[in-house]
Amino acid sequence: MLELVNVSKRFGDVVALDGAGFVVESGRILGFLGPNGAGKTTAMRVVFGLIRPESGTVTWNGGPVGPAERLRFGYMPEERGLYPKMKVHDQLVHFSRLSGLSRAEANDAVDHWLGVLGLADRGGGKLDDLSHGNQQRAQLAAALAPNPDLLILDEPFAGLDPIGVESLAETLRELAAGGVTIVFSSHQLDLVEDVCQDVAIINEGRVVLSGRLGDIKNHSKKRRLTIDVDGEPWIPEVPGVEVVVGPGLSHCIVDDDAPVADLLAAANAAGTVNRFVFEPPRLTDLFREAVGS
Amino acid sequence: MKPWRQVGLLAKREFLERARSKPFIITMTLLAVAILAIGPAVNLLSGGEGKATKIGLIGMEPPGIEQELHAQAVLFDMVIEVDRFPTRSGAENALAEGEVAVVLVDGSEIVFHTESSSQLTALIHGAVDTTVKTEALSELGLSEGEIAAVVEPIPMEVTALEEQNVQDEAKRGAAFAGAILLYISIIMFGQFVAMGTVEEKQNRVVEVILSRVRPWQILVGKVVGIGVLGLLQLAIFAGAAYISAQLADLPDIDVAAIGLPIIASVFFWFILGYTFYAFLYAAVGSTVSRQEDLQGAIMIPIVLIMPGYLLAIFAAENPEAVLPTVASWLPPWAPFVMPVRMAAGVAQPWEIAVAIVGTVLGAIALVWIGARVYSGALLRTGGKVKLREAWRAAAE
Repeated sequence: MLELVNVSKRFGDVVALDGAGFVVESGRILGFLGPNGAGKTTAMRVVFGLIRPESGTVTWNGGPVGPAERLRFGYMPEERGLYPKMKVHDQLVHFSRLSGLSRAEANDAVDHWLGVLGLADRGGGKLDDLSHGNQQRAQLAAALAPNPDLLILDEPFAGLDPIGVESLAETLRELAAGGVTIVFSSHQLDLVEDVCQDVAIINEGRVVLSGRLGDIKNHSKKRRLTIDVDGEPWIPEVPGVEVVVGPGLSHCIVDDDAPVADLLAAANAAGTVNRFVFEPPRLTDLFREAVGS
Repeated sequence: MKPWRQVGLLAKREFLERARSKPFIITMTLLAVAILAIGPAVNLLSGGEGKATKIGLIGMEPPGIEQELHAQAVLFDMVIEVDRFPTRSGAENALAEGEVAVVLVDGSEIVFHTESSSQLTALIHGAVDTTVKTEALSELGLSEGEIAAVVEPIPMEVTALEEQNVQDEAKRGAAFAGAILLYISIIMFGQFVAMGTVEEKQNRVVEVILSRVRPWQILVGKVVGIGVLGLLQLAIFAGAAYISAQLADLPDIDVAAIGLPIIASVFFWFILGYTFYAFLYAAVGSTVSRQEDLQGAIMIPIVLIMPGYLLAIFAAENPEAVLPTVASWLPPWAPFVMPVRMAAGVAQPWEIAVAIVGTVLGAIALVWIGARVYSGALLRTGGKVKLREAWRAAAE
């Protein structure tokens, strides 16, 4: 279990983290969300000791995190980077050995992950010779090969094609099922909703919403209302109902006790209703609400 | 996982990746071959000493002149050959072509091509003088023994109060070559350290490494790995130079007695000097994020190294001058100047001790300062990080 408690860090006048905290339980996948500059990367760097926070604690299974613990963590930084001129297999073995694997263990692990990620025949080539998507996979392999107990991935899905996205999602689910604790950040909220069980939403250095995704949805006092009238999205205007509409949305958010019958009647009065869905909010809706946009 | 085990892995990667790189192998091989070729090349150019000097003869010859020329040559410690020419123009052509060094015309005129040699003039003059006098004396009816007693040169003992010591000359030359090798090696491998640091920052791999090890481990691994490569190259160059000197025709010089101590001294001072400068190179390298910005940053070590190199060259000729003497005590310059003064035999033991202790302390201070700047600057990408900012950032 990874736990960040009340972590604060400022760079000059900029507050990067302002008492941020969240918990990831073992074997679960947490989507770490937030707008650009909210503090996601800083929080991840704090876990790896790359940034020393001014206050707050990071614990792993209840104990402090030191160099020995970190060797059991895998990290895929936001800033991608491997050695461009070094052979892919060689550098993955190098990084795995730095994480404490023996030469034989490292070789086996690298072979395994290159196979899983579809790079089995690319290990002997230089990183430079790989396509962008394959470099991304090699980067992931560097995080996975040491067989970590905790995996922290900064934007792992960015730059992957839809098939790559699906296979990475599947890989993460399998790892979590095998007991690996996973934290990943992403701006693709539908994807996060699909892959992770828990979320933590950070805004301006503070975690504004966190917990199990199902619980959050169920406890939400909001509902997503999608109405199509005459084949077009339709937004109701019913007295006593507060309707939240964001730019570019074809649905609206209403309170969970909104008068559904009145809303449907209003839609019927406007034309032929093709669709009327009243459902728990999606992650996108929760995110919009949490970061206040 | 012991921290030093990780340092070892980092050092090994630095060493292997560079040692395997084609440009490095090609450059090193070419340079080693060039050094090897110097010895034989010098032999070719000097045309081989002890080779016979040719003397041309035309026209009337004093009787027995050839035999007397050979006899005189022995006195001058020379070997000569005599060539006869039918015409003066033929002899002059041979002079111009360098086929003969000098021509004796009618036993009374000595012709050189451009520069006259007083040694050859004296030799020919002596031979002509002896033959002419021998003939005159024999006409007077003196016996051969009597003639010999008159014309035989009076033996003179020649002594020099101070013998020009070829060994010392050679030693100085070797020390000079060692200083250049040291300078090139420290600049080259220091630059490798700086470039490697920037490279890791530029392609962001540093964050992947830093998630596994501490900054000081990366720094030490890099300096050690590249340093071992430097020692390897030094060994190859020094070996090539040593073989080259053996191949050169240097009968008066004991190559082993001069070469081996100089090589040992270059190794020793490389380890000290490289350690001192490598951490400085790493620190300044860590403050920039792109190779393009590196040239400006490494001016700091270059500006420190240059005076040391120039003073080492100066010290080769003037090992006891004030400036090189003082410089040889001080850490930034001792690694360049002290080995030259040691080779010249003018450095006192206490001076050597001061230089070594000073450089070691300086290197320790730079390891500490360099590691701190490096830690503070590693994850700062974008522009150039000021040294002071990096220093402060490391404390955060």
